[in-house]
Amino acid sequence: MKAIEFINVDRAFKDGDKTVKALQPTNFSIDRGQFVAIIGPSGSGKSTFLTIAGGLQAPSHGEVKINGQRFSTESEKKRAQIRLSEIGFILQASNLVPFLTIKQQLQLVDRVDKGNVNREEIVTLLEQLDIEDLQNKYPSGISGGQRQRAAIARALYNDPTIILADEPTASLDTDKAYQVVEILAQETKKKNKATIMVTHDTRLIKYCDQVFEMKDGVLQEAQLTATT
Amino acid sequence: MFLAWNEIKYSKVRYLLIIGVLFLISYLVFFLTGLAYGLAQENRTAIDSWDADGIILPEEANGNFNMSLFSAEELDNIQADEKAILGQTPAVIEKDQEDSGEDRLDVRFLGIDTEQFLTPDVVEGRLVESNGEVVADISLKEENGLNLNDSITLVGGEQAFEIVGFMEDAKLSVAPVLYTTIEAFQEVRFGEPVSDDSELAISAIVVRSETDELDQVTIDNDQLELISIGDFINDLPGYNAQLLTFVFMISFLIVIAAIVIGIFIYVLTMQKINIFGVMKAQGISSGYISKSVIAQTFLLSLIGVLVGLLATLGTALLLPAAVPFRSNELFLIVVSMLMIGIAILGALFSVRTIVKIDPLKAIS
Ligand SMILES: Nc1ncnc2c1ncn2[C@@H]1O[C@H](COP(=O)(O)OP(=O)(O)OP(=O)(O)O)[C@@H](O)[C@H]1O
Ligand SMILES: [Mg+2]
Repeated sequence: MKAIEFINVDRAFKDGDKTVKALQPTNFSIDRGQFVAIIGPSGSGKSTFLTIAGGLQAPSHGEVKINGQRFSTESEKKRAQIRLSEIGFILQASNLVPFLTIKQQLQLVDRVDKGNVNREEIVTLLEQLDIEDLQNKYPSGISGGQRQRAAIARALYNDPTIILADEPTASLDTDKAYQVVEILAQETKKKNKATIMVTHDTRLIKYCDQVFEMKDGVLQEAQLTATT
Repeated sequence: MFLAWNEIKYSKVRYLLIIGVLFLISYLVFFLTGLAYGLAQENRTAIDSWDADGIILPEEANGNFNMSLFSAEELDNIQADEKAILGQTPAVIEKDQEDSGEDRLDVRFLGIDTEQFLTPDVVEGRLVESNGEVVADISLKEENGLNLNDSITLVGGEQAFEIVGFMEDAKLSVAPVLYTTIEAFQEVRFGEPVSDDSELAISAIVVRSETDELDQVTIDNDQLELISIGDFINDLPGYNAQLLTFVFMISFLIVIAAIVIGIFIYVLTMQKINIFGVMKAQGISSGYISKSVIAQTFLLSLIGVLVGLLATLGTALLLPAAVPFRSNELFLIVVSMLMIGIAILGALFSVRTIVKIDPLKAIS
């Protein structure tokens, strides 16, 4: 069973009278336990791909399945439910709620999804992310990098099977960036998750099992010319 | 509640201001309602205190007992479970004191037979026992400084009366009521006493019926007509016009308050569209977010209305007695629920917006 499966998915946007094909017809799949990176120039369609995978937008054609189940064709409510329990989103701009402390951001997940939260692992995760001392701070009171790591903690909090990360290291320095990607890789392997990470930092792809390149809406497996 | 409450805690000043607005609006509504109700009641409390079901007047009086006069002997032509004669006349009185001339007062004299059921409930002093005595509305004491055993004189007449008792809630057409005997009423009305009981004139006969139904009451005189107390009150001169004015005034106030509160909540929601979008991207359902917005509105309006209520009751304590403010639990409860309900309606309006939020827009 595939964690995510794209079946002939494409996405076109109407821009005035002309249509922009942000994503060409794509077939793609990822297994659990796999860590995949997507690289490519700006505007090539990486975020489009990722948000379709996460059900934030619907494909123009084709279908996305999650863990072998219908996903992109489900109702918005059902998709939100699946997203909450199965998908952890880490976004380009840190996606924290401004009026909740870091701890409360996590509690919010508890409240809406009384699922599979393991408190001890969370403590370890916060320690690994080096934000265990910031739990009672509001997002506005911590640095951009700390916010980003808090967002990662939030995404991993209820142990989703899939992690979708759009430039998760954008606001981190090199050391922290490596650390974060290492944590993502670890989580993927240890807990058998499927992780897709969009990045433009090719140094980070050494942690990944597979690298794809997006170019003008076309997704292709990239030649791994290791830059180690 | 989790989101709702934490957000209020985070943006304390903003939400204090919003609660402040809700408080002011509800204070205004409560206060004006209290004033309007108080003034409306001053037309009728004396009649209400009779606890009667009907009133009998000559047909030609057209329901207005200022215009009515007929013989007290008509009482025998009426069959009812309880019946009582009533004389009613407006009058001007003045205090029999050295400083008199200053406070002349418009009052209503009600002449009654103390053996019958119109006898007032005296809260201070005693009932009238002779023709020179009156039981007065307590406002004469609270607002005009009259006391027990003070004597008052009829302006333009000779008669003097001694205040022997006070009663509460005895206002008729916004004037304080003085209860006296039916004989004394004759003097006030005609300037001289009647020589014979058969000449006694009255303004109305008031009836009570055990079943509260008027069809038990029979009148053996087709010059007289029976009017239900409710209709009679509505036909009091000026009362209905006043009441309608108040009802419209308060209704408009509530509608406008509703719109203001609704807009407030809506603007508040609009400001948070991005945050809600991010939450939706995380998989938090529109339902959960909507519930929290509604919970928050409920919380804010509840606090605002409660503070408004307390402020109204507090202000009522400080008001001078002459201000016709009167609160009524039913009114307060209805207005409170209306205000909270309307605020929640405003929040429900915002729910549509929440459902429509596109998480994609919020995160890009
Ligand atoms: N809502 C939209 N409406 C119209 N065009 C869009 C929309 N979203 C994306 N596009 C277009 O689709 C193409 C792909 O955009 P996308 O955001 O996926 O790029 P990206 O690879 O994530 O770029 P970056 O690295 O800068 O984040 C772009 O040409 C963009 O202009
Ligand atoms: Mg992008």
